[in-house]
Amino acid sequence: MTHLWNRKKSKGAVQKNPFHQRFNFSEKTIVILLFIAASLAIFFSAAILYTLIDGAIPFFQKVSIIDFLTGLTWIPTESVQLFGVLPLVINTLIIAGVALLIGAPLGVAASIYLSEFASDRVRSIVKPIIELLAGIPSIVFAFFALMFISPYFVDNFGASYFNAISAIIVIAIMIMPIIISISDDAMKAVPNHLRETSLALGATKWETATKIVMPAASSGIMASILLGLARGIGETMVVLMVAGGRVGYDLLQPMLPMSGYIGRVATGDMPPGLSHSAGFAVGIVLFVMAYGINSLGARIVLRIKTSTSVKSAKVAKKRNIIFRILLRISEGILFVFLKIGGAIKSVFNKIRNLIRKGKLPSLRERYWKQRLGIGVIGSSIIIAFIFLIILLWFVFSEGLSGLSPTFLTSYPSRFPEKAGIFPVIMGSVYLMLLTMIFAAPIGIGAAIYLNEFAKDTRYTRFLRRIIQNLAGVPSIVFGLLGYLFFAHVLGFGMSLLSASLVLTIMVLPIIVVATEEALKSVPDSFREAARGVGSTRWQTVRHHVLPNAIPGISTGLILSLSRAIGETAPVLFIVSFFTKTPPSGIMDGFTALPSQIFYWAQHAKPEFHTLAASTIIVLLFILLGMNTIAIIIRQRAQSKRDW
Amino acid sequence: MNKNIKREEIDKHRGDLRLDNVNVHYGDNHAIIDVSMFIKQKHVTAFIGPSGCGKSTLLRCLNRMNDEIVGCKTDGSIYWGGIDILGKDVDPVPLRRKVGMVFQKPNPFPKSIFDNIAYAPRIHGIRDKKKLIEIVEKSLKDAALFEEVGDRLGDSAMGLSGGQQQRLCIARTLAIQPEVILMDEPCSALDPIATAKIEDLIEELKKNYTVIIVTHNMQQAARVSDYTGFFYLGKLIEFGETKQIFENPKEDLTEKYMTGRFG
Repeated sequence: MTHLWNRKKSKGAVQKNPFHQRFNFSEKTIVILLFIAASLAIFFSAAILYTLIDGAIPFFQKVSIIDFLTGLTWIPTESVQLFGVLPLVINTLIIAGVALLIGAPLGVAASIYLSEFASDRVRSIVKPIIELLAGIPSIVFAFFALMFISPYFVDNFGASYFNAISAIIVIAIMIMPIIISISDDAMKAVPNHLRETSLALGATKWETATKIVMPAASSGIMASILLGLARGIGETMVVLMVAGGRVGYDLLQPMLPMSGYIGRVATGDMPPGLSHSAGFAVGIVLFVMAYGINSLGARIVLRIKTSTSVKSAKVAKKRNIIFRILLRISEGILFVFLKIGGAIKSVFNKIRNLIRKGKLPSLRERYWKQRLGIGVIGSSIIIAFIFLIILLWFVFSEGLSGLSPTFLTSYPSRFPEKAGIFPVIMGSVYLMLLTMIFAAPIGIGAAIYLNEFAKDTRYTRFLRRIIQNLAGVPSIVFGLLGYLFFAHVLGFGMSLLSASLVLTIMVLPIIVVATEEALKSVPDSFREAARGVGSTRWQTVRHHVLPNAIPGISTGLILSLSRAIGETAPVLFIVSFFTKTPPSGIMDGFTALPSQIFYWAQHAKPEFHTLAASTIIVLLFILLGMNTIAIIIRQRAQSKRDW
Repeated sequence: MNKNIKREEIDKHRGDLRLDNVNVHYGDNHAIIDVSMFIKQKHVTAFIGPSGCGKSTLLRCLNRMNDEIVGCKTDGSIYWGGIDILGKDVDPVPLRRKVGMVFQKPNPFPKSIFDNIAYAPRIHGIRDKKKLIEIVEKSLKDAALFEEVGDRLGDSAMGLSGGQQQRLCIARTLAIQPEVILMDEPCSALDPIATAKIEDLIEELKKNYTVIIVTHNMQQAARVSDYTGFFYLGKLIEFGETKQIFENPKEDLTEKYMTGRFG
């Protein structure tokens, strides 16, 4: 047997190092492509900034920034135009704040119930309900608020047809799933030995949950509330359809939050000119608020995830001054609240001591407290469940009568009895396919780069943060991006192409996160084994990691596309409501299902409201179908998995 | 006269624990098989044996911690003061107030030293600050920790050393005024000096408490315990006075284990 070393020597050649580094062209090319896919996120973020600034420049040439930021009146359409953004900001904060006041306690309560008290069976029923709630597009919530909740307040409380309270109620329910899933994660991360110790000291489960688990998970709970707040601030369709079109300070009257104003610009309610470009200026404020709150929340979540080792927590602490300041501020606010809470509690305790006269509470009292507590937090889940049932029942009872084969195969019309949604369905299908063509390679490539190739450099961390923060951009800001950047600057027009590019950017963070999770679930021993027999890094990924991660990746892809197909606000500027034919090319105008629902729901003739409900049913069935496929893929892969 | 003697005799044994045919199943796994033993009050009893022999599981029966594990089933009876504490009618919450537990790894709550110890008295309804301070100080003194941390009760308990944390956990257990203290390998995560302190403390504790300790360390069992039970594969192989078990074991298996000729 000739040894590797000896072979060439025996042929008389000069001895060469057989291990010397060779330039592997295809390997390098692939790594560079993956690197570019990941780095595109920077380009996308820059495009968003460019859109907002470029769009707002004409506005700020006429209106001074100081007047804009400090003005107390917002009159965009009169002959004397006044652009003080504060009323819009205040309306945004009222709607998002009150919604949070309702949604956050419900969400946190539900998550305590799920993580501390629910049996596996209850969990397996409740979790899908929460996911279902999270998967319903906001246009459906908006329709429900406008057609079902708002009339209730009009009839019983003398509210105006457009009112803030209806919007607040559905937004409260919409932010529940976010709060539940993140708080639930935070409480599950509390080590079990803390629970055991507390129980071993004779605490009841309720006392353990409220006095040990919740304080230990408090930063995660706070993060979930921040993310819920960001969601409420960014929500567009609900406020656009339900909350009305002028600034107000009464919950039963209309309110005009920032996203609502931009939405009005998008639908053409605002005359061109200053009131139009004001939309971009408002967009900047909305973007900064939502982005800031969201990234703060996301970074707290990240901090919790990485703080298992003391060292990484220290590194995270060192990094960003602004983040630290914001964190300090929010901790300061929390501290003040805790102090106030503590003061109230001590007064309460004194009163209790007076009543008890030094007697200790009996075990029975403590159990009653537990029973009552579980009842209260458990009922939050029942509230969400009832809401979902009523919503579905309402949509189906409204829309079933409009459903027929001709409805699916005919074209939109001015006459409700003849109208159908064939081109709309095709528009949505094409939009989804095109989005997948763009989003899948970019998102999956970025995730592969970040998870398999990137070293932990500043640039990588920056990329990760940029991608993560894309998820915090309000959907209507994506609408501005599509309108100004893709449609006008790049000249793609009001086309399928522009819309699909916008949606690509929007779903990118979801795809990256899902893909990374799928890649991480492949055990490292596979990689080591492959590298151990001499595979290159890309070969390892290509032959051993990707095949095992495919089910997870495709599940994530389908779920993110189902999110994209339900979105209305990002394509609000771009869709052409009067298109009567399905698009024949990527540069054609189009309508999508959510946009058609939006258009019909606002129609003066009530017959069209029925058609809107019918379209919702079609949309929900498409979403259900996609989710079912995703679940089937996941389960089949899990049952086949032998590692 | 005669009656009085009998009464005294009974009272002397009131705090003893009698285990009758205790069996524990984790799903299909029969973790404890027919264990019967008699644990004397105000003595230290050690459970020894190789890993996975069920000694920790048995310990966790004594304060019903196994109830918290899904799929864990316990049969048999443990009589204590005339009550079967494994009975369906026994509520583990008040039971655990009388049977305290110290875990393998020091596990303070992420709170201040004071709040750690005051936690249990507080949930049992004591709100009076003065009384809480009294309890905290007494517990810390009893756990021989007061001199080291008495001046910084407001500091986080996470900043203490491992040995201090473990004594804090003991103090936390003492604060509920239990009668029995269960210790699940309390020294396995500690260095020899901290271990010695805990052992001294156990010596001190047995004046007032019944201590049951699970340990891997046979020297430790020999040093601190009055009675020792040797477990193997879920069975109690031999149980008796520590001196007898270590110097003159009756069973072959015990002797093999003691002399390290196992397997």
